Amino acid sequence: MSKRYGSTVALASLDLEINRGEVFGLLGPNGSGKTTFIRLLAGYLLPTAGRLEICGCDAVEQSLQARRRIGYVPEAAPVYGYMRVREFLAFMARLRGMTGRAVADAVDRVIAALALQAVADRPTRTLSRGFRQRTAIAQALVHDPELLILDEPANGLDPRQIIEVRDLIRGLAGRHTVLMSSHVLGEVAKTADRVGVLLDGQLKGVRAMADTPDLEAWFLSLA
Amino acid sequence: MRTLGVLLRKELLATFGSPIGYTVAAVFLLVLGYTFSLTLFATKVANLVYIFHQMYVLTILLVPALTMRAFAEERRNDTLELLLTAPVGEVWIVLAKFLAVFALVLGMYLGALVYAFILEAHGVPDWGPIASGYLAIVCHAALIVSIGLLMSSLTENQVVAAALTLGAALMLWFADSVSYLLPPPFDVLALNLSLIGHFRPMVTGSVFVSDICYFVSLALLALFLATRRLVER
Repeated sequence: MSKRYGSTVALASLDLEINRGEVFGLLGPNGSGKTTFIRLLAGYLLPTAGRLEICGCDAVEQSLQARRRIGYVPEAAPVYGYMRVREFLAFMARLRGMTGRAVADAVDRVIAALALQAVADRPTRTLSRGFRQRTAIAQALVHDPELLILDEPANGLDPRQIIEVRDLIRGLAGRHTVLMSSHVLGEVAKTADRVGVLLDGQLKGVRAMADTPDLEAWFLSLA
Repeated sequence: MRTLGVLLRKELLATFGSPIGYTVAAVFLLVLGYTFSLTLFATKVANLVYIFHQMYVLTILLVPALTMRAFAEERRNDTLELLLTAPVGEVWIVLAKFLAVFALVLGMYLGALVYAFILEAHGVPDWGPIASGYLAIVCHAALIVSIGLLMSSLTENQVVAAALTLGAALMLWFADSVSYLLPPPFDVLALNLSLIGHFRPMVTGSVFVSDICYFVSLALLALFLATRRLVER
């Protein structure tokens, strides 16, 4: 698929398949097209040309069905500041079609999984960056999606929080398919099963991390 | 409909949890009370035509402050990305925002109903024009709120959204003045676009289906365009 903004090519003929249950890392410098690709997958943008399929659903023709199968955490980890954490998670669960007791159960499950108990009844505007990021990940997981999309999940976190988020993502592998973008080589190396390198809107290469002992050398050879 | 309920609840929380709504409502009722007292003491006539005209002007001036945040703030805070990537039709997002702001405006108008009861207590008002006046102001509010949402969907700057709403409303208000300068058939078109031209008959007790259709069709057009704007991101 391709994405253009007027005459500017943001993504050029990108051809990629992500396997069920894997953690796929999308690596590239700022401005390489990572966020555009992620927004296309999340259904926020529409491709200019080509086809995008999410868990068997065409992302354009069956947009609502495709969006039901994904959980998405934008780079800014947005939350509604006037809602409490629990309230925000319940709202996102209901927005994804959950009803009744299932909402409360799902909210309790992600609060426990993301260790948000201490802040569950606090307004989201008062959260630290780390808790805010965890809340944003919790909202993406609340409906137990098949595909979790994370745009720069380690951005703005301190080293301890980065390790926590990394462990969390690794823990999701197998049960969920995870696509994460990052411009930090070390993060991708420690988290992903496979990695794709995106440069100037072009996918330069895809490799399994097990076959890539020196990610930095490989990245530099492509760049 | 369930989705609309979920979104509406969130929008009501945002609208009624913000000081902007209460400030606007307080200013609206304060200015209206002031005008009502002055008019009543000056004219000693038990009608609300002047008050409805005052409400018409205040709606144009104050509603942009309520609608400017609708999409502009969501865009600025990146929360619009959350809404638009959820399995929700864009039309429900727009409708929920419309209903939340419209509910607040209707609440303000309900507060103004006290003036009708004051007239009833101390005089013999004609309830026909009061009822049609309320119908007129509610239609007017629906249109201005819709225009406000459309303008808010076009920008992430709240001040720009408010200024665009005010500008669009003022242009509609004075459309009939422009008609004298235009050749046929544009003069008739401009005349029929006039906001005050469709408001005035209703507020004096003459309810025409054409006037109601004007408000409803323009409001629906604005909501449709706001939805298209979201669909096209």
